[in-house]
Amino acid sequence: MIPADTEDHCRHARAGSLTRRSFTTGFLGGFVAASCPAASFELSAPPREGSIRVGLTPVFLSNDLEVLDELQAYLAAAMKRDVQLVTQRTYQEVTALLVSGNLHVAWICGYPYMKFRNELELVATPVWRGRPLYQSYLIVGSGSAAITFDDCRGHVHAFSDPDSNSGYLVTKTYLAERHVSEERFFRKSLFTYGHRNVIRAVSSGLADSGSVDGYVWEVMRETEPDLVSRTRVLLKSAWHGFPPFAAPLRLKDTSVFRDIQTALLSMNSDAVGRSVLGRLRLDGFSTTSDDSYQSIAASMDIVRRLG
Amino acid sequence: MTVIERLAGVPLTIRAPVMVAALMVVISVIISERVLTRLHEMQEQQLGNVVRTYFDGLSTALIPPVLRQDVWETFDVLDRTGSVFRSVAPLETVVTGRDGRVLAASDPRKVPVLSELPPEYASSRADGGIQIDWDAHTGFGVRPLLYQQKTIGAIHASFDISHLIAERRQVLNTLLATNAALAAVFATAGYILARRMVEPITTLAAHMRSGAAGTPRTIAPEEFPSRSGEFADLFHGFNDLVEAERQRTALTQRLAEEEKLASLGRLASSMAHEINNPLGGLLNSIDTLRRHGSNDAVRDTSLSLLERGLGGIRDVVRAALATYRPDRGTQSLRLSDLEDVRLLAGPAIASRNQTLDWSSIPTDVTITSLPGPTIRQALLNLVLNASAAAGDRGSVAVRTGFEDGGSVLVVAVSDTGPGLGSAAAAVLTSQDPWSAAQAAGGLGLWMVRRMVDDVGGRVNVRGGDGSRTMITLRLPLSNRGKDVDHAA
Repeated sequence: MIPADTEDHCRHARAGSLTRRSFTTGFLGGFVAASCPAASFELSAPPREGSIRVGLTPVFLSNDLEVLDELQAYLAAAMKRDVQLVTQRTYQEVTALLVSGNLHVAWICGYPYMKFRNELELVATPVWRGRPLYQSYLIVGSGSAAITFDDCRGHVHAFSDPDSNSGYLVTKTYLAERHVSEERFFRKSLFTYGHRNVIRAVSSGLADSGSVDGYVWEVMRETEPDLVSRTRVLLKSAWHGFPPFAAPLRLKDTSVFRDIQTALLSMNSDAVGRSVLGRLRLDGFSTTSDDSYQSIAASMDIVRRLG
Repeated sequence: MTVIERLAGVPLTIRAPVMVAALMVVISVIISERVLTRLHEMQEQQLGNVVRTYFDGLSTALIPPVLRQDVWETFDVLDRTGSVFRSVAPLETVVTGRDGRVLAASDPRKVPVLSELPPEYASSRADGGIQIDWDAHTGFGVRPLLYQQKTIGAIHASFDISHLIAERRQVLNTLLATNAALAAVFATAGYILARRMVEPITTLAAHMRSGAAGTPRTIAPEEFPSRSGEFADLFHGFNDLVEAERQRTALTQRLAEEEKLASLGRLASSMAHEINNPLGGLLNSIDTLRRHGSNDAVRDTSLSLLERGLGGIRDVVRAALATYRPDRGTQSLRLSDLEDVRLLAGPAIASRNQTLDWSSIPTDVTITSLPGPTIRQALLNLVLNASAAAGDRGSVAVRTGFEDGGSVLVVAVSDTGPGLGSAAAAVLTSQDPWSAAQAAGGLGLWMVRRMVDDVGGRVNVRGGDGSRTMITLRLPLSNRGKDVDHAA
């Protein structure tokens, strides 16, 4: 059984009330927010007048409500503004909200950023292990005999999200290089809409292999060793730009944009901010350019041409 | 010997508790069966309710992902509910899609995605009830997932029912222990009770056995059962019986004594008569000798008369001696001894002016297997009886001989009397001669009967219908393995 520490918050919830929405709303598919009265904020609340709306995608690591509390508290304190955290089930929903101007800023993946780079502006990029970079891992069950990617042929494969670089695009690129679609290469592929879910799927044996964010996998190895120990990294991708915080282009050069950027970049100098970073195993934030995401653009190009 | 016969031989003190215990076993088997059946039903019902609740909760959550055939979300629901429904303890839950293939299972390693439904689930009832496999400690249930009246998939679940089995075993053990304890208690109580109940019978049986072996003793008051009741009545009855038997034995002895004295009197009187008859002649002869002794012819005649008269007296005395010798019980029978009866009965016959027709075997044979004095006494009794029955001027006939090639001595006595009364005949022929003798009021025939029974012979009584009355004794010679000694 997967250690479900986050579910403890909501264990009193009756089965009848476990709706699809409540199951799947949250970060990394790992926690239930809507049905938890303990939550101090509403993740999908309607926009409040004058508040900064920050979108979060399931790229985000923690399934701990405390980190959300702290992040909100830090941002609100740093910007001296009301801050509203908004989460959605898929990357696409967050991206759509961001592009449409519904959100002031959102933590998104490099892949949707590159898709919409004409409409988005980078605000700040997390620094992990000293660099604003991460890898995609292709993981298999710890007992799997697979050695190369080609051994995964015929697997049930778990993707994270169709808009995730590490959880989909990277593996899609491997397939495109082999001129094969995932339907033909894999016996079955499924989207779990969360990197933690990919690890759960592979760990439980539901999927034979999975595409997962290397940063999430590495950090979960510390936070949930039981779950992660039942998986093994088969393949590590090249380094890609870490999922950035991005804002709609039209906010560029506004005070809101600057406030957000300053708050993120100076998170290291604040106690609450350091606590948030500590929980997320991040070193801090830096500013990056589109160059960091050229590898993702290249992958998109390969998939577009060959896939 | 059948089992039932063998069981009947077991003492009551063992049989009663064993039967009580056996009865308890039967009762406990029936009760246990009822209790376990009821428990079984209750457990199935309870499990069915729990399982229904589980399915109700799960199907609500599962319909959206199953409708989309979404493997991950289906698994996600199962994975989470596994911890939520801990009290139901589903071992495994498998969700199948529209095509019947596995969409997701709680343990995907065991039941992989897209595989066929494992066969153990195939037989599950579709009505939401639970199919229980007691051997595998597992219950199986299935619930179709309906969306807009269409089946879009099904939930199959297996449940751990080891706690139910443990409960059943516990109940069974409790039943067994309780019933065994009860059976033991009842058997012990039965043993004690049976012992207490049987004790008087054992006492009674011991007294009866000692009574059969010798003189019956009355039961002492301290041996009586403590309370008055059937057994006390029984003991009183036994004591009364013993007392009556004692009185009867005493009476018999007294009667025998009296009979002995009576026959002694009869004998003395007949002997006196026998001796008295020639005595007149002898005294006359002496008188004749005294007066005409000088006459040779008279003297010779008188002496001859004296000799014959004294010879007759000597014969009578000798016969009496032979008959009443003290060691008569051990003497064997000489056929010539029977001739003595003719002599002894002579006066009785003569006094009634009767004729005695006596025919016997001329040979002088000694039969060691038959007691001579007893038989002679019996014959004398029969002849005297016959003489008394025949009346004045009647006739009595005695015949002795052998039958069946010399293996049976036949002694027949007949008379011209009116025949034996039924009571008297019963003394000779009935199964219970003693009570018949009591009714007949005489011991003569009873002594005859006893002699015949002693030597293993038979008695035949004929007549009483106008013709001669005949009593025939058939006495086997080879009785008790003794040989016939043919002496000269």
